[in-house]
Amino acid sequence: MLAIINKELRSYFASATGYIFMSFFLLISGIFFSITNLLGQNPLYNNVLSSITFIFLFVVPMLTMRLISEETRQKTDQLLLTSPLKVSDIVLGKYFAALLLFLLTLLITVLYPIILSFYGNVAVGEVLGGYIGFFLLGAAFISVGLFISSLTENQVISAVVTVITLLVLWIMDGIIMGLPTDRKSSIVVVGILVIAIAALLYYSTKNIYISAGAIIIGAIAMVLLYVSNPAIYDGIILKLFQWFSLMERYQSFSFGIFDISSVVYFITFSFAFIFLTIQTIEKRRWS
Amino acid sequence: MIEVNNLTKQYGQHKAVDNISFKVEKGEILGFLGPNGAGKSTTMNIITGYISATEGTVKVDGFDILEQPGEVKKRIGYLPELPPLYMDMTVEEYLTFVCNIKKVSVHKQKEMLGKVMNAVKITDMRKRLIKNLSKGYKQRVGLAQAMIGEPQVLILDEPTVGLDPKQIIEIRNVIKSLGKDHTIILSSHILSEVSAVCDRVLIINKGKIAAIDTPENLAKRLSQTNKMLLRIKGSKDNVLKVVKEINSIKTAEVTGSREAGTVDIIVEGKEDIDIREDLYYAFKAADYPILMMKSMDLTLEEIFLQVTTQEQIIEQETADNFDDNDSQQKEDGEDVSDNK
Repeated sequence: MLAIINKELRSYFASATGYIFMSFFLLISGIFFSITNLLGQNPLYNNVLSSITFIFLFVVPMLTMRLISEETRQKTDQLLLTSPLKVSDIVLGKYFAALLLFLLTLLITVLYPIILSFYGNVAVGEVLGGYIGFFLLGAAFISVGLFISSLTENQVISAVVTVITLLVLWIMDGIIMGLPTDRKSSIVVVGILVIAIAALLYYSTKNIYISAGAIIIGAIAMVLLYVSNPAIYDGIILKLFQWFSLMERYQSFSFGIFDISSVVYFITFSFAFIFLTIQTIEKRRWS
Repeated sequence: MIEVNNLTKQYGQHKAVDNISFKVEKGEILGFLGPNGAGKSTTMNIITGYISATEGTVKVDGFDILEQPGEVKKRIGYLPELPPLYMDMTVEEYLTFVCNIKKVSVHKQKEMLGKVMNAVKITDMRKRLIKNLSKGYKQRVGLAQAMIGEPQVLILDEPTVGLDPKQIIEIRNVIKSLGKDHTIILSSHILSEVSAVCDRVLIINKGKIAAIDTPENLAKRLSQTNKMLLRIKGSKDNVLKVVKEINSIKTAEVTGSREAGTVDIIVEGKEDIDIREDLYYAFKAADYPILMMKSMDLTLEEIFLQVTTQEQIIEQETADNFDDNDSQQKEDGEDVSDNK
C-alpha cells in the first residue's frame, strides 16, 4: 500500500495536477481569509472554512479523475492486479494518496488562524473542530470521486460526472425540502428501491431466481412493516436523502460542535464508497 | 508447475476460451500459437489472475489462483500484450516501484535492478523517461518488469512484437537463457520464433486447443514424406510418360513451368515407400536431368494453417510459394503486428 501511495503522490507532482490543486486551493482560501477576516475584521475563522467548501466541486475531480480511470486506459492495472497486492491495498493506497495531498494543503492554511491569533484570541477548539469537519467532508467527497473514477476509462467523463455528483450532494438540503413526506409516495419509493436492488442483483449474478427472491422478500418485508407499524413509512424519503446530506453534517462542525456521530458518519460514508470502488474493480474482472 | 484444467471463459454468448486443459512442467518453455482472437491473451490473463475464468481451475506450483491468489501471483512474472508502463516515470523509478509492489526487500532492490536491466540491456536507459523510449526499449522494460522478484514462472504475451530483427534475436536469446531456470509460457504469431525457442507448442484456435506437441513432432505428424516436388528438364508429356512407368508412384500432377524447357511436377508415392531412388533411376534412364527434388515436408506455417483452417493446402501449393516461403513468413508476421 505504501508503494501505491508513494507512486500516486509522485505522479501528482510529476504532472501539473498537484501544483494546480495546491495553488488553486490556497489562492481561494487566501482570498476568502483576506476578505472575511482581515478586511472584514471578523474574528470567526470558521466562516472562511464554511464559505470555501464550494471549492471541493472543482478540486476534488482534479485529485480523483485519473486515479483509477487512467490505470484502466493505459492497461497498467494489469501490472497492479497481477502483482501480489490485494485490490483493497491498491484502492486504499490511491485514496490515502489523494487524502494526504489534501491534508498537506489544508495544513498550510493553518497559517491563517495563526495570523489571526496575533490580533486577538482565537477559539482554538472551535477552529480545530472546523478543520476536522472540513477535512472529513473533503475525505468523503474524495471517496465519491475515487468511486466514479473506477467506473470509466475516460478522465474527462470521470471529472464531469464527479462535478455533477458533488453538485447534487451539495444542494441535497435544498432537494430534501422539496420532497414529499406522505405515506403513499414513501411506499412507492421503497418499492422502486426494492426493484432496483433486485435489478442490480440480476445484473451482477445473471440469476433470475436470486433477483425474484429479492423482490419477494422485499415485498413481504414491506407488507409486514406496513401492518405492524405504518408510521415507519412517514418521511422515509427524507431520511433516505438525508443520509447523503453531507453539508448538513458539516454545519455542526463549523458551529464548533464536535459531534462524534458525525465523525462516524463521514468515515462510514467514505468507506462505503471505497468498498464500492473495490467491488467495481473486482466485478470487472469477473465479467 | 502450471496445471490448467477445463478452463472456460465466456463473454455473454461468446466463448473466448473453451474447455482448455494442459500442463507445463518445471523448466519448460511452452509456446502459444494462434490467430488473432484465438484466446491466447485471455488464457494468459486468467493464469495470471488478471481476470477470472467462468469455469475450470488454474494451479501454479500447487496453488489455486482463486483460493490462494497471493501465492500464485508471487510466483508469476507477467508481460501483457501491452507493457504496463507508467509513462511519466524513468526506467529506474518504474522498476523500483515494481520491486516495491512485488515486495522485494529494500536492500536487495539495487542488486535486482542491476540484474534485470543487464539481462535485457537497458542499463544505459535507466535515467530516461519511459515515454521517450522507442517501442523496442519499452518492450524490454516490460520484460524486465516481469523478471523482477525472481518469479519461477514467466508469462510473456508476444514478447517480440514491435522489435526489429536484431532485437528479436536478442530477446529470444534472453528468453532461452531464462528458460534454464524458469517455466515460461509465451505467445506469438511468428512461428519460426516458437520453433526456435519453445520445447512444446500449443496451437489454439477459436478458444480450443487444436494441437499440442513438440515442434518436431508436429511437423512429423502432419508431414507427407512420400510427396515430392520435382523440376525436370524436358517437355510435359515426356516427363509424365516417364513418371507413369514408375511402379511405386500413385499420383502425379504437373503444376506448371517456372524455367524455360522445364516442368514442375508433384508426385506422390504409394504408402511408406521412399520414391526418391526410383525417380532418379527413371529420369536417368530417360535422360531427363532432375534440376530440383524437394520433399513436401510441412513447415510450421503450413501445419499452423492446416490445424487452424483445416485446409489441405498441400494440394494448392505451387512452386512459387515454395520459393517465396521465407518472405511469405515475414509478411505474415508483419500483417499480424499491424493488426495490433
